[in-house]
Amino acid sequence: MALEREAYRAIEDIVGKRNVSEDSSVTETYRCITSQSSAHYGPFNHQTPRPQAVVLPGSTEEVRQVIRICNRYGIQFKVASTFWAAMGYVGSDRAIQIDMVRMGGVRIDAKNMMAIVEPYAIGAVVQVEAMKFGLNCNMAGVGCSSSVLAGAAGWMGFGPSSLFMGIASENILGAEWVLPDGEILRTGSLGSDGSWFCGEGPGPSTRAVLRGWQGSTGAMGVCTRMAVRLHPWPGPKLIPTYGEVPSYKADGLENFRTYTLCFNEWEDYARAFQLFHEADVIYLGHRQFNMFGRDIKGAMLKILVDSGGQFSDLLPLMDDPYVKSENEKMKIDVQIVLAGLTERDLAYKEKAVDEVLRQTHGWKSEFMLDKEMRDFVLLYLLRLGRKNLNYTLCSSYEGNFGMSSNVFVAAPLMEEASALKRKWEQDTPHIAAVGGDSDMGSMSGIGGGGTTGWEFFVHFDAYDKDSIRGTKEFIDDSQRWMLSKGLGADMGRWNADARREDGYDYTQEEHDAIYKNLPQPAIFEYQWKVREAFNPRHLTGSYYRTKTPENVK
Amino acid sequence: MIETTLEDFRPMMERCSNCLACKWLPYEKIESRRFGRNCPSAAYYSFNTYSARGRFHLGQVLLDGRSEFTEQAVEAIHSCTACGSCDVSCKITRYNLEPLAHNIALKERAVELGKYYPGQKAAIDCLEAERTMLPGERHSARTDWAKDLGLKDLTREKAEYAFFAGCQYSFGSGLAEKARFWAGMLRDAGVDLGYLGKADMCCGGRAKQMGFKGAFEKQAGANIAALKAAGVTAIVTPCSDCYHAFKRQYATLGLEVKTLHVSELAADLLAEGRLKFKKSIDMTVTYHDPCHLGRLGEPYVPWDGVEKKVLNQIHTWDPPRPRYAGTFGVYDAPRSVLKAIPGLRLKEMQRVREYSWCCGAGGGCSLSSPELSSATASERLTEARSTGADAIVTACPWCLRNLEKAVDENGRQMKAVDITELVALAV
Ligand SMILES: Cc1cc2nc3c(=O)[nH]c(=O)nc-3n(C[C@H](O)[C@H](O)[C@H](O)COP(=O)(O)OP(=O)(O)OC[C@H]3O[C@@H](n4cnc5c(N)ncnc54)[C@H](O)[C@@H]3O)c2cc1C
Ligand code: SF4
Ligand code: SF4
Repeated sequence: MALEREAYRAIEDIVGKRNVSEDSSVTETYRCITSQSSAHYGPFNHQTPRPQAVVLPGSTEEVRQVIRICNRYGIQFKVASTFWAAMGYVGSDRAIQIDMVRMGGVRIDAKNMMAIVEPYAIGAVVQVEAMKFGLNCNMAGVGCSSSVLAGAAGWMGFGPSSLFMGIASENILGAEWVLPDGEILRTGSLGSDGSWFCGEGPGPSTRAVLRGWQGSTGAMGVCTRMAVRLHPWPGPKLIPTYGEVPSYKADGLENFRTYTLCFNEWEDYARAFQLFHEADVIYLGHRQFNMFGRDIKGAMLKILVDSGGQFSDLLPLMDDPYVKSENEKMKIDVQIVLAGLTERDLAYKEKAVDEVLRQTHGWKSEFMLDKEMRDFVLLYLLRLGRKNLNYTLCSSYEGNFGMSSNVFVAAPLMEEASALKRKWEQDTPHIAAVGGDSDMGSMSGIGGGGTTGWEFFVHFDAYDKDSIRGTKEFIDDSQRWMLSKGLGADMGRWNADARREDGYDYTQEEHDAIYKNLPQPAIFEYQWKVREAFNPRHLTGSYYRTKTPENVK
Repeated sequence: MIETTLEDFRPMMERCSNCLACKWLPYEKIESRRFGRNCPSAAYYSFNTYSARGRFHLGQVLLDGRSEFTEQAVEAIHSCTACGSCDVSCKITRYNLEPLAHNIALKERAVELGKYYPGQKAAIDCLEAERTMLPGERHSARTDWAKDLGLKDLTREKAEYAFFAGCQYSFGSGLAEKARFWAGMLRDAGVDLGYLGKADMCCGGRAKQMGFKGAFEKQAGANIAALKAAGVTAIVTPCSDCYHAFKRQYATLGLEVKTLHVSELAADLLAEGRLKFKKSIDMTVTYHDPCHLGRLGEPYVPWDGVEKKVLNQIHTWDPPRPRYAGTFGVYDAPRSVLKAIPGLRLKEMQRVREYSWCCGAGGGCSLSSPELSSATASERLTEARSTGADAIVTACPWCLRNLEKAVDENGRQMKAVDITELVALAV
C-alpha cells in the first residue's frame, strides 16, 4: 500500500530527495530473508513485509519530524541501525523503515569515561576512538560491526567483555529519544548537557519504559544519541597487527594473555566460572570457538590462522593425529583474556587463573598457546571483528538450547543437549554434523558475573530448502526437550511472541490471546498503559508486548 | 564451475548473511571513525542497496521479478566502482562468496537489457571504432608516444618484454611523455623491450568492469591474437588497469603471459643495481594503492570445480578454489621504488594495501556516476592530506586523472603525481 503522496513529499522535504526512496529496488532490499532471519529472533522461513519507503534521517530533528508525519498519517515505522536481526525490520504493509546510517557520530569524553554515540557508530569505531584515550567499550557478542547504541537501546548487549564491563544496558549513562509520538526525551547526562555523568537519576528513571530488560526492539521510538560508560584499556592506542589477510594477528600486546582453559567435567567448568565471577581477574571471557562444533573446532582454528586456509582442508585436518588429540583435550573449554594494568597486576591475575585451574582440575590448552594461534585469538576477542564466522560453515545458523542464566543450570544438561543434537546430525543430513556440542556464549551475561550466556549453534544452508526445513524441525524438537526440562523458551524464540512466523506483526487480539494465558497477565496490561501513554497511535508494531486490560475491552 | 551468469550467483545471493562487513574496512584494520568505511558506493548513496550486500539482495529481487530494472536499480547497479574492497572484507570470514564477481554480473545483466548510461555507451562505441575507451581519440595517433624511441616493433621483431602503454598513457596530455620515459629508461637499463606498433590497442579491461562483457571479449580476442602472433610472452605496463586486464581478465580467456607493472620491474632493477637514483627529492608523499594493481592484482589461478558439501552441510569446493582476498596484490614494489628515492619521505594513509580506498574512477564510474566518482576522490584526498604529505602518489593513470581534478572535503586541491614523475626526477 503506497504512501499518500502528501506524506511521501513531506518526508522528502524533511530529509531531502536523495535520503528517501520508495523505489522497489530499494524497499525490496530492506526485507529480512532466511539467511539473516535465521540468525535469531525473527521469521524463520519468510521475508518480512516490504516497507513502503526507506528513510535516512540525518539529525534528531529530522527523526522527530518524520515521526510526526507518521503520526499525522497513521504510518507505522521501524528503526534499525545495523540490521543484524529481524527485530529491526517492519512488520506491516503500511510502514516505513528508518535506517540510521547517516547518524554515525562518536565523541569521547575521556575525563568522564564515556562515549556519546549516534546510532550508526559501530562497535569497531567506538572502540578505536576510545582506545586513543586508554579506554574501551563493552562489545556485544554480535560483534563490532553492530551499533553500540542499538545493542543498548534495542537489545541485551552481552558478550566477552560483559563480565568486566557489564552488558550494554548496564552501561547507559543517558540517552536522547524521539518517542513514538514525536516528542524528544533526554535522560541522564545527555539531559543535563553532558556536565554530569551518573545514570538516569536523580528522580524516577525512564529506563524501564524505554528499554526494560530485554530492550525495546524498536518499539519505543528512535534513540538518536546515547552516552555509554567506557572502561579501562591498558593497551596501545591502536592494536598493531601482523600477518596476511585474512589471518591478521595482534602484535606485541605484552600485558595481555589469552588462554583456552579446559576441563574434564562440566561440573568443574561451572565451578571455575563461579570462581572467576568471584575473583574479578578476567578482562574477556567467552566460550567462542566451540561454536564451530566440538569435533571440528581445532581444525577450523588451523584453517583460520593460516591465510591460505580453505574449508577443503577441514577433513584432512580433523584426521591429523596432533589436531585430533589436542581437539579432544579441548572438549570442555572456554577462552579468556587477561589484561595487566601493571606487571604485578598481570602476575596476580595469572596466579589467580592457575589457582582456579588447580581447584577445578583444569588446564591450559597447549594447542592454543602456539604464538600465531594466540595472537589470532587475542585480536579476535579484543576486537570481535569476525562475527560473520558464525555463518561461514554453511552460510547460516540458528541457535538452540540458548539461555542467559546460572551456569549451574546449563552445565549439567550440556551432554544431554549435545546428544540430542548429535542424534539429529546423524539421523538427518540437514544440519552440519560437527559433534553435537556447538555451545558458545559469554562467561557472564551481567557485569561482575552471575549469569552465563550459552547457545548451541545449528549450522545449516540458507540456500537449501530441505536444510532450512530440517533445521526448523530440529529446533522444534530441541524446544520441546527444553520445556520438558523446565527451561522455558530458547533464546532464539525470545521474540516468537513479537512477530508472527509469516513476518507480520501480531494483532492486538492475537496478543491478548497469548498473554491472557501467561502466569502474570497483569504485566502486559501495565505495558498496555505505558504504550497508550507513549505511543497512542500504535505505530511501532507488535514488539511491545501488551494485553488489553479487561475493563477497557 | 566459475559463475558466469546472474542466475549462477543465486546460491551466493541467498547465502550472504547481511553482516554488512562489506561496508567497512576489515574491522581489525580500522584506525578511526573518519576513515573506517571501505565502499565508495555505499558511503555516497547511504542506502544498503548500494553495498555489495544490497546488490546480492537486489540480484535476488530482480531474478524473482519483485522489482524491475528501475532508474534507481540501474543507478545502484552501475555505481559500483568494482574496486573489490567489499570482496576483501567479506572474505575475511566467508569462504564461499564472491561479491565483486556478482556486482559485475549484475552490471552485465543490466547492459544486456540496454540499461546503461550515455557516457558509458560513448566509451564503448569508441572502443569499437577507435580501439580506445577515451572518446575523441584516434587509433592513428595511439603510438605517437613511441616515435623515434627506436623501440622494437613486435609485429616484426622479437623482444623479451612487450611494453603496453594503455589508453591513458598513449593519449593523455602529460602522460604520453611518461610512457616515453618508462620505455626509454627500461631500454637504457638493458631491458629487451618492444611494443605492438600498429597492433597496439586498448586492453578493454574497463569494459568488463562496466558490464560490457561482449565488447570486452571482442577486444580481448583481438589483443590475444595480436600478442600470440607477435609471440609475446611477457608484458610490462605502467597502467594498473591494463595490468589487471592481462594478469587476471585475459588469463580467464586462456592467455598465459607474464605480466609486470613498471614499478615491479623498476624495483627489480633497483635491487640488481641496474637502476640508480641520483637526485634527491625533498618531499613528503603518501602512496595510493590502485585497486587494480593492489587487491585485484593477484596472480590468476585456474580453477574448474564444483561445490561439495562435507559433514552434511559444510561448503567446500572440489578441488579447492582459489581465494582472491587481496593477499598477493602488488603493494611493496611501488613502495620500495619510492623508498629508494633519496630525500623522499613516505607517509602511509589509514586505508592502504588490500584495504585501500578506491580513487573513484573504477568500474567506469567516472562515466556513469560522476558525482560518486568525484566524492570518492575527494574522500581520498582528505585522507591523504591528514597524513601531512605534500602530494599523493599513485601508480595508475586513471587514479591520477581522478585525483588531479578532485578537491578534499574542505575544497582544497592536493598535488597528485604519478610514480613516473618522481622516478624521472630522481634518475
Ligand atoms: C549473529 C548474531 C549474533 C548475536 N550475538 C549476540 C550476543 O552475543 N549478545 C547479544 O546481546 N546479542 C546478540 N545478538 C543480537 C544483537 O545483539 C542485536 O541484534 C544487536 O545488539 C543490535 O544490533 P543490530 O545490528 O542487530 O541492530 P539493529 O538491527 O539495527 O536493531 C536491533 C533492535 O534495536 C532497535 N533499534 C535499532 N536502532 C535503534 C535506535 N536508534 N533507537 C531505538 N531502537 C533501535 C531495532 O528496531 C531492533 O529491534 C546477535 C545477533 C546476531 C544476528
Ligand atoms: S557480501 Fe559478505 S560481507 Fe557483505 S553482507 Fe554478505 S556476507 Fe557480509
Ligand atoms: S566493488 Fe567497491 S564500490 Fe563496488 S560494492 Fe564493492 S566496495 Fe562498493
